[in-house]
Amino acid sequence: MSRSYLFIPGNTPSMIQNLDVFDSDAIIIDFEDSVTVFEKDSARILINNFLKKYSYNEVEIYVRINSADSPYFGDDVSSLHNLDITGFVLPKASVEGIRELCKLSDKAIIPIIESPLALLRVEDIAKEKNVTALLLGAEDYTKELGIKRTLEATEIFYARSIIAITANAYGLDAIDTPYTNKDNEEGLLIDATNAKNLGFTSKSLIHPNQVEIINQVFAPSLEEITEARRIIKKSEGSSKGAFSLDGKMIDLPIIEKAKKVLEKAKKYNL
Amino acid sequence: MKTSAGSLESSDCLITISDSNKLEITIESVVFDQFGDQIQAVIEETLKEHNITKLFVQCFDKGALDYTIKSRLETAIKRRGENLE
Amino acid sequence: MKQHSRQNIKVINSIDELFTMIDISENRNISFHHHLRNGDYVLNYVLDKYKRENINNINLFPSAIFPSYTSILDLIKNNQINNITTNYINGPVAEYITMNGLLGKLIMQTHGGRARSIIEGRNIIDIAFIAAPYVNTFGDAVGYLGKSKCGSLGYCIPDSIHAKIKVLVTDNLVDEKIINPEIIGKNIDYILLVDKIGDTKGIVSGTTEITKNPIGVKIAKNTSVLLNELGLIKNGFSFQSGAGSVSLRVTKDVKDIMIKENIKASFFSGGITKYHVEMLEEGLVERLYDVQCFDLEAIESLNRNANHIAISSSRYANPNNVNQIIKDLDIVILGATEIDYNFNVNVTTDSHQMLIGGSGGHSDTASESKICVIVSPLIKGRIPVIKEVVTTKTTLGKNIDCLVTERGIAINPLRVDLIEKLKDTKLKIYPIKELAQIAYNFTNIPKDTIKRDIIIGEVEDLTYEIIDHIYKK
Repeated sequence: MSRSYLFIPGNTPSMIQNLDVFDSDAIIIDFEDSVTVFEKDSARILINNFLKKYSYNEVEIYVRINSADSPYFGDDVSSLHNLDITGFVLPKASVEGIRELCKLSDKAIIPIIESPLALLRVEDIAKEKNVTALLLGAEDYTKELGIKRTLEATEIFYARSIIAITANAYGLDAIDTPYTNKDNEEGLLIDATNAKNLGFTSKSLIHPNQVEIINQVFAPSLEEITEARRIIKKSEGSSKGAFSLDGKMIDLPIIEKAKKVLEKAKKYNL
Repeated sequence: MKTSAGSLESSDCLITISDSNKLEITIESVVFDQFGDQIQAVIEETLKEHNITKLFVQCFDKGALDYTIKSRLETAIKRRGENLE
Repeated sequence: MKQHSRQNIKVINSIDELFTMIDISENRNISFHHHLRNGDYVLNYVLDKYKRENINNINLFPSAIFPSYTSILDLIKNNQINNITTNYINGPVAEYITMNGLLGKLIMQTHGGRARSIIEGRNIIDIAFIAAPYVNTFGDAVGYLGKSKCGSLGYCIPDSIHAKIKVLVTDNLVDEKIINPEIIGKNIDYILLVDKIGDTKGIVSGTTEITKNPIGVKIAKNTSVLLNELGLIKNGFSFQSGAGSVSLRVTKDVKDIMIKENIKASFFSGGITKYHVEMLEEGLVERLYDVQCFDLEAIESLNRNANHIAISSSRYANPNNVNQIIKDLDIVILGATEIDYNFNVNVTTDSHQMLIGGSGGHSDTASESKICVIVSPLIKGRIPVIKEVVTTKTTLGKNIDCLVTERGIAINPLRVDLIEKLKDTKLKIYPIKELAQIAYNFTNIPKDTIKRDIIIGEVEDLTYEIIDHIYKK
């Protein structure tokens, strides 16, 4: 139910020891792209010692390990054994990769959908055990297709849609791809809003200064909260499963959704 | 044989270890006045945990916290072990 | 225009020529201003003469000492300097004094305290050597024109009135009338014409940028939210932020709130940057009271905008000046190298006991403004900003109201009114000792290695009270 998932390089102490000050709902400590092959061991040991010493209640901590077909996968997973983390972010996701990871750990898994093939199999991925959310990795996805990223993001419209729909269908969170221009606040706002309008519940990000905008975009709006309160109030006074409000039909899925909105509003002090 | 781990970035430290017939620790730190003793203690404790009694440890510290100092030393020790194999 | 009654001032062409007319050995109390910052040529030019003439027992009154003011170091090493009275000291001179002290002592005043001392005759200055970027033959001068322009000349105005002998040093002498001069020609005794009074690159530091560091951004956000929750950002409010990168980020965040809620401020004061000018020109603030320009945009605005007003250090911060600006100041944002359990703040020395700064207007604005907020990272390279006792008291804790860090806020327990206002806030507010404990959980408690054996100087508040001593390292 997090709005923001901030990537933090796994071998950079100055960032790691401040992971709770950036107001991101969730942190993804990265063992993959931001850690060179020579420093994978460093990052594992650093994070292991760090998480043994410090624990966090107000922020969810995930670790992006290296992909299941990489030589680092096994050591990454075992270095996190018995540590208080919410789960794994698994890059280059495939059904097989997720099953590998499930053999080693019972923790939550957020697969990154970042290839055309993974996108075609996204429903199978969503159905796998321990999967709690789907994360779109648009940089690798578009690279594989040989197409350019744009601010309008029409090139990922289909990928976003299918991921958001699939996540929604299977009760998972849908996490959007990061917006990579860290200095363009306006662009970030447009990009995040587009994703929200397609059904994403949250967005991943690469720079702490992007947290505030993303949290705003993915928080329920005041109107949504007011509406949800009215729905819940009316449903509590109604013995029927479905009823009408302002002439609109309210049924169970809508009531469930309203409950979620209020839960979020409470969690984020809105 | 010499192995190192860490960096000279702010809040990190660079630890280099090499052969010695005794325990020898040198520390250079931007916060030596305030934390020199503490850094020494973390290094000694970590070596003890790994049952190491003879080693030359050089620590160049840029304000690393204890967990980082311990981690960099452990990484250097691990790399040394891998090289010895 | 009574120009006919005014006299042309005697123009001389070298420092040697000056001292053919007056006796150098009878003029050992000398003052300078620091508006040309690290680009200043005047201080070294004048002090080289004192060095050559082997004048001893010099008492220096520079408003600040920058790294390039190396002639002071030569004079100290030659035992030619007795006391130094200043408001800010940084660089090789500061390091040397930290390690060796002076023959006499180092007296660290505030901007307001310095102005007051000069006006009230406590700092007796024989000659004020005033670098002046734009001077006319009547001795009127401004700082925002000329090839070596620096903006406001605020800090030297008391010197230009109360020193026994006033010498303008300029590289730009004109015949034209100057409207609203900062320095009034009738007070001036000599104009010393030189090739160049400074190096433009060093005059405008170019370091006034808004922070993008996420920790700084978080501190600034916490600060603007705090100010807003305290109801301080409202129509007609006044504000001072200085040029620190975090303080400037606070200014930006406050600006965002002002635009969103359609609020207009009455004035900003102190050191002025392009960001303050922008807000003036966008109609978000009515007036800028400028005692020091930090960048070229501010200098040019002083020439262009009628509501951007250069003020003297006395009008800025002298507590005995009835028109003092900062007594009307609602909010001041200040930095700290250290703050202690009693909210005393140090910006004079660093945690290694090295002299690295000084009050400037820190204690002045903290004392006079309604709310003084200290912004600082909780931990700087493993050193927690909060200590049990600061190395040097620059500003007394009773004048500090809030400390804002990235991990939380501490409110001075003396400010029960603020604590009451914040009782329902979602901001993380802790007693200062608890906030210190949060830092110690990461860093451990640093060993106190401060030496307090040999006194080399003192910190004098704007009240003239000696609030702390400075010790040899």
